[in-house]
Amino acid sequence: MEISLFDAAAKGFLSLLQLKVFLAMMIGVSIGTFTAVAPQGLGMPLVYAIALPIVIKWEPITGIALLIGASSVSAICAAYLPILFGIPGGSGSQATVLDGYPMGKRGEGRRALGASFMAGGMGCLIGTFTLALAIPAARPLIYLMGSPELFVVMLWGLSMVAVLAGRRPIKGLIAAAFGLLLATVGQQAQSGVMRFVFDQPYLLDGISISIIALALFGIPSALDLALTKLGVEQQPVPLKGSLFDGVKDTLRNWWLVVRCSFVGVWVGIVPGLGSQVVDWLAYGHAAQTSKSPKNFGQGDVRGVIAPESANDAKDGGDLVTTLLLGFPQGVTTALFIVALLAWGYLPGPEMVKKNPEIIYSVVWLQGISGIVGTLVGFFLAAQLAKLAEVRYTFMVPIMFIFILMGAFSVNRDPVDLLVVIAFGILGYFMRRFGYPRPAMILGLVLGDLMEKYLYRSVASYGFSWLARPAVIVLLILAAASFILTLRGRLKGRQETPASLGGAMARTADES
Amino acid sequence: MITIVSAAILLLIFVAEAAIGQSFYEGKTITMIAGTEPGGTLDMRTRALTHFLKKHIPGEPTIITEYMPGAGGRKAANFMYRVARPDGLTMATPVSGFLILAVLKEPGVDYDIGKFIYLGAPDGVAHYIFHSRKEAGLSDLDKLRAASGVRIGAQAVGHTIYVVGRLFAYALGLKDARFVTGYSGVELDGALVRGELDARPNLAETLVRRTPEFVEKGLMDLHGILEAPAGKKHPRFSYLPEIASFARSERARGVIEMFRASRVTGGPYILPPGTPKERADILKEAVRKTFNDPAYQTEYKKLVGDDLAPVTADEIEKAIGALRPDSEIIELYKKMVGPGPLPSQ
Repeated sequence: MEISLFDAAAKGFLSLLQLKVFLAMMIGVSIGTFTAVAPQGLGMPLVYAIALPIVIKWEPITGIALLIGASSVSAICAAYLPILFGIPGGSGSQATVLDGYPMGKRGEGRRALGASFMAGGMGCLIGTFTLALAIPAARPLIYLMGSPELFVVMLWGLSMVAVLAGRRPIKGLIAAAFGLLLATVGQQAQSGVMRFVFDQPYLLDGISISIIALALFGIPSALDLALTKLGVEQQPVPLKGSLFDGVKDTLRNWWLVVRCSFVGVWVGIVPGLGSQVVDWLAYGHAAQTSKSPKNFGQGDVRGVIAPESANDAKDGGDLVTTLLLGFPQGVTTALFIVALLAWGYLPGPEMVKKNPEIIYSVVWLQGISGIVGTLVGFFLAAQLAKLAEVRYTFMVPIMFIFILMGAFSVNRDPVDLLVVIAFGILGYFMRRFGYPRPAMILGLVLGDLMEKYLYRSVASYGFSWLARPAVIVLLILAAASFILTLRGRLKGRQETPASLGGAMARTADES
Repeated sequence: MITIVSAAILLLIFVAEAAIGQSFYEGKTITMIAGTEPGGTLDMRTRALTHFLKKHIPGEPTIITEYMPGAGGRKAANFMYRVARPDGLTMATPVSGFLILAVLKEPGVDYDIGKFIYLGAPDGVAHYIFHSRKEAGLSDLDKLRAASGVRIGAQAVGHTIYVVGRLFAYALGLKDARFVTGYSGVELDGALVRGELDARPNLAETLVRRTPEFVEKGLMDLHGILEAPAGKKHPRFSYLPEIASFARSERARGVIEMFRASRVTGGPYILPPGTPKERADILKEAVRKTFNDPAYQTEYKKLVGDDLAPVTADEIEKAIGALRPDSEIIELYKKMVGPGPLPSQ
């Protein structure tokens, strides 16, 4: 018998009012928090893979509570590493390092963490709200964007290099081009051609973006500390600001949170985009639309708010496709589907029809876990922010251990340790000579997607894809955005030479 | 006298060896190398197995899983061939493609598939359905054959779905079929609905589970099926013509059979070459018993979402023996796997 959506929502909530469900959610929250604070790579897929054989023997709601609790909090708490150590968090939280770490170094770690958790919590709720609203109308949304439209969106994303390059447009372009070139390493999916593989099996699948990001940002931060601060008597960075300041920052920038959350939801819904672009797209959007983009990269709290809200909202978008259409958007959601199947639910239209109360239970759990995760984040942040006062002699080895463990845990391949060191050294020199590393990461992240969408567009439509109305509209928007950004930058240059820092150019982090 | 003493010593050695073999695994740890990332189907198959496999190995050793994804299973297979110690304490399940990659002598293959010790595989049955979207107007085989430039989608050049699509196009004699790759499985479905693609092959189980409306609402025209192993009918789609019935030459039949042989091995569990026979036998027997364990079958269905279709070690070795076709078929198969234009039958 089918029930109304309102009844399903009420039933879904009532089924959560059990002690064991609450306990399971709290266990999930604890696991998610640990995963977020632990080195990169100990990600949700591994947690789900370990937990799955156990939880599928439980009652469905209890098992769902644990899984959703863990994944929801893991995203919210992913900002610890970037803000406190300058090490990029897991995918989806890498751009946070650009402004989070300079804030942490200025002693504003608590403020940055406060902003991150508040933005993450709000993003999570917006994503959840979207999930609840999307139940009747998800499918048309997903089939709306074809390869040509997605290519233009990626092109638009690449135009952010204009922002990311700051006062060094040529160096920015070189860095982005190098990123695009790196994206070509490995077996090309469309033609099967081996590019830059040199008969090495390690290179067949290309080099992991996670490892390159970890190396480019993590190693220079650690080297910087090791080379400039060790042996010098440490002057503790005075802790400024409070968590509440971060909360106020986020509430002041509520419109940015909403916009970036929808970027996150969109990335979550569209198949094939993946979590690696979400933070960069949101960050670029925030910098591009800001009246003072020069502050980005120097510890601007908006550079924390934008990626964190988008990353947490993405989970809601992921669940739209997972629950309503039965399409997993990544390994974690694929495993969630495995669990649902084991409990006898068939995610997709059938589940919307037959088990809407379970979908609403997930919606409620996602929202509640988001709130709990935010509170847990606040509680831990007060303690963890004190890490800024830890002596460098302790901090540097800890950072290197985190970086190496993080790199190894991505593929469990010892060669990754050599790669992380090599790219770390490259990152150090890029920083020293003013080549913006984020532009390189953007090229790397978008390169693969752009190539794929362009190939698919031409292969399916020839060049007639350029005449598609949605493509024309998006191209005009992308061009307008690029020109306005460039004009803004040129205007800024005329006004004051000192204002040419720009997002992610030579900043406190790039010095 | 010497003969009797020698026989007695040999008997003693045999008994001692058997006894040692039986208790060898007690207190030991077996490492299972999975040639995939955590969470994939292969990982789920491995997780379902390890828990029950332990019970069926005398001594009940601990089994831990390590992940070694990359290069279509070549990384894990190379590791097993070159690095892993042949002491019966390292098993692996590279993704199934590592066998055919070796037959085709693809780059990055540093192993000999004839030298691995095979223990069995849980997934030796597959059914691929070739279908086109209704709006493309390719409702029957004549229209399909008459159409030019049919756009067939797949994940990547060399991917199983790509090869199956090429086999269908080749066997059906499609005119100037265009293969568009770079999609995930889910994206392929979306691209069909949007009209970005005209056709694709898909696993029957995936088609039914993920996009039931494609079949139930008649959104797709189903043209044919590829059964692996041959003659193993799908309960729901047994009415569809089998791909071999489209073949008009021995070469075409040969290349289809080569694909079938590579597919029926599933994703086998392997041991490094040189693993002592008695330990390999213990593990083979344990895998066989696990496959027959009803509790494992239930767990497999739960975790993988598919029915267990076990293949024994002997069947795998036989299939690998059949994977040594003549050079003409290998060259033709390479054309099926590669990006170039398809030859005609």
